[in-house]
Amino acid sequence: MQLEVTLLTRRGAAVMHRTQSVNAERVSFGRGTNNEVALPDIRVALVAAVLASRDGGLFIEARGDAPIRVNGATVPMAAVGPGDEVLIGPYRLLFAEPPENYDAALSIELVQPMGDALDMLVAQSRIGLGAAAWSKRVLSWIGFTAVALVCLAVPIIVYSGGLVPSWREVQPGLTAAALFTLSWNPGELSNTHRQFAADCAACHQSAFTAVRDGACLACHAGVGAHAEKTAELGPLRGRLDGTRCTACHEEHRGLGGLVIQEAALCVNCHRNLAETAPAAGIRDVASFPAGHPQFRATLVADSATGRLARVELGGKPPPRDAPGLHFSHAAHLVKGGFPPLGYKEMVCADCHVAEPGGLGFLPITYERQCKSCHALKFDRTDLPWPGAVVPHGDDSGIVAAVWNYYAGKALQGGIAPPAAPVLVRRAPGSPAPAAELPRDALAWVAQRAEAALREVILDDKRGCAYCHFGSGPQGAFETAKFLPSPMAPAASARVRIVAPVVMRARFLPKARFNHASHAASACEDCHAARQSASSGDVLIPGKENCLRCHGPERAALKVQSTCTTCHGFHHTEFGVMRETGSAAR
Amino acid sequence: MSVTEPAAPASAVRASRHESFLAFAGFRYLKLAVLVGAASLVLYLADRPLGGRYGGSWAGYILGTVGALLILWLTWFGYKKRSYEESRWRRYLAARQRRRGVAPTSQQQEREHGERLAARLSAHVYLGLVLLLIATLHTGFHFGWNIHTLCYALMCVVILSGIFGVFCYAHYPRIMTANRGNMTVPQMLGRIAALNEDLRRGAMPLDNATTALIERAVEETEIGGSVWRQLSGRYPNCATAAAIRGMDASLAAAPAALTEARRQVRVLLDEKAALLARIRRDVAIKAMMEIWLYCHVPVTFALLAALLAHIVSVFFLW
Repeated sequence: MQLEVTLLTRRGAAVMHRTQSVNAERVSFGRGTNNEVALPDIRVALVAAVLASRDGGLFIEARGDAPIRVNGATVPMAAVGPGDEVLIGPYRLLFAEPPENYDAALSIELVQPMGDALDMLVAQSRIGLGAAAWSKRVLSWIGFTAVALVCLAVPIIVYSGGLVPSWREVQPGLTAAALFTLSWNPGELSNTHRQFAADCAACHQSAFTAVRDGACLACHAGVGAHAEKTAELGPLRGRLDGTRCTACHEEHRGLGGLVIQEAALCVNCHRNLAETAPAAGIRDVASFPAGHPQFRATLVADSATGRLARVELGGKPPPRDAPGLHFSHAAHLVKGGFPPLGYKEMVCADCHVAEPGGLGFLPITYERQCKSCHALKFDRTDLPWPGAVVPHGDDSGIVAAVWNYYAGKALQGGIAPPAAPVLVRRAPGSPAPAAELPRDALAWVAQRAEAALREVILDDKRGCAYCHFGSGPQGAFETAKFLPSPMAPAASARVRIVAPVVMRARFLPKARFNHASHAASACEDCHAARQSASSGDVLIPGKENCLRCHGPERAALKVQSTCTTCHGFHHTEFGVMRETGSAAR
Repeated sequence: MSVTEPAAPASAVRASRHESFLAFAGFRYLKLAVLVGAASLVLYLADRPLGGRYGGSWAGYILGTVGALLILWLTWFGYKKRSYEESRWRRYLAARQRRRGVAPTSQQQEREHGERLAARLSAHVYLGLVLLLIATLHTGFHFGWNIHTLCYALMCVVILSGIFGVFCYAHYPRIMTANRGNMTVPQMLGRIAALNEDLRRGAMPLDNATTALIERAVEETEIGGSVWRQLSGRYPNCATAAAIRGMDASLAAAPAALTEARRQVRVLLDEKAALLARIRRDVAIKAMMEIWLYCHVPVTFALLAALLAHIVSVFFLW
């Protein structure tokens, strides 16, 4: 197909013509330069239309996205001939009569130049978020400055300017300044310290300096030392003295508390104390339970001297206690109680009374625990007042009590059988003889008192010997030096006849067993009292008993147990941990 | 993103741009990030400080330092990868190569530049992702209402917005291309401008009311606008849509003589409405690809301030 194409360009009134000849089977029109006829305008598709000859006629067909208009009508395809007008985007194609040897002729003119319309459209379009008056730079500056001010500058000013008053002076409140200091809090404070959580300066006394011991001692001056001041700890002494409070007490680690509980903290020193501080006599502990030695109970070795001994539990033969007392738990815990005496079956709590707080038990005393059943009565009949009872714990008072009782009895005329009155002959007018106690009454009293005292002291059912040992050799009661001469009852009053008793209220004093927190268990779960017939039996169970419930510190199926579960670090009995004045650390 | 990607073999699936940076150098930076993440995890698990794991143990300090340095580095390279300017060092190298007569061709230079960009973006994405793990381990999983958790939260926002950005780069260009068809945005604008003129011409014979509608549709061609407008692509006050509604409403009342003229205008309006819908969708997609940066960048700077506060506060009140 031979085509004559004339391009018209208007400059004012002048019209410029540029004619070219195109020879192709199909003539394409479009923005692309590979078109036979290029229409260089942005509004035209790359290939916008194709002109082809078919069946002797010419047809134009739209190819681009935009339709073409033939003689004003939007059509996908149309037959064209001389006189027809085709609009392709902003271009107008006018078909004319072809010259000789040409199949068609057309003139092309840009009738809608891109001018004001496009400029206006572009001007009023706001594409891109930058055009919507947002600037990343400005937003970034705002973000940086705001956070730096609120999170850095203001808290520093509040701290340095002391804008949060000391909690000792002012009741802490949630003021604006407090909010700023709290915003720096790197973790929850322990519950007891929360009251001054906003007062950073309470502990952090100066900037860029780690918390000193002095800050802690301001409140905790009396905290106990870990070991006796004189204990020979070798190189560990320096280490112990050099350890800061914060080494073990880490604050901001949560509500749970600020004492580090891990065994590793203690084991660090305690794993080889036998080597590093042999003089201390402390056994090594590597872990619990595997690396923990068997418990040692503090038992009475000699009640007469009060000598104590630390004895390992669970050994063979079992350790023995020597409190200086005959006592059988089994005999007290008999089934059914004591019906002839009118006593019900006994339970542990009848004698073992928890101390306030429930940690342990009140000491066992005759007055509280024994007296109600074991009255120290030595005669069935009373004086007009109850009197046939000897005092407990007061040996010298025993003789007096017994003697006085029978003297009272004698005065009451209790000497039996009553003797006939003695006839006294005298001269008339002579004074009556002085009223002296009848010699036979005194003898009666002495005789009865001695008999009663023998029974009170020696009878193994009702006397002292029932529970006690005598103060003589091998626990013998030396009655000979004790029993009074009939006429001088008080002469031997100062003699002690009963051996001293030493009963331990705590058998494991180095640990802290809390009975209250174990109240859900029955006593007999741990203490085999029903099987114990002797006071020498040690009813404190060994480590293996604890391990029924307690496991290692990361145990999954047992009570997680670590050093601090049973042991404390600070012991006030050893003095104070740090002298307040020396706490510059 | 590579600007001069070597043509993929015909048999291979053509890798799109985002794939090229995510898979850069055989996932080199993914591997690096996995390595760094694994090392952090090992460090975290190896350290068992008394009282439980937290940011103040030695492993905590290492993780914190690495995290903070990563934040600074990522911010710097986030800036650099967008900057097309050559660094002094590169300029110096290039000058030396020129003096030696081994200067690379401009094509080579361009390719190298593209590769550098892809490398930076790849590193930025993968190391940014692993930062989430490092910082989380640094916290020891302790969180509270304080600047320290604020710092962590801001970092999470930055990283999450970055992840959204990667998703945008992966997802939207395809949609954008499909929406545009064969036209470019300037083309669409030009076409709309032409249609505006056609509309003006075509509306000449019509009644005053319709002419006013058409004139408003021409004058108030709304493309883009406020952030919400751009993002949503919803233009409830679109004058072109109003003109179409108006013309349809007055269809019955129109005189028969003007039917053809009205039809022509109506066709033009439809065409314009279709083009507007397309260009507005294009604007919306572009806005989506841009909006995350308005979160990513400013929050990054807020994060830098929070990081500074976090570090200073910890040592200020030691």
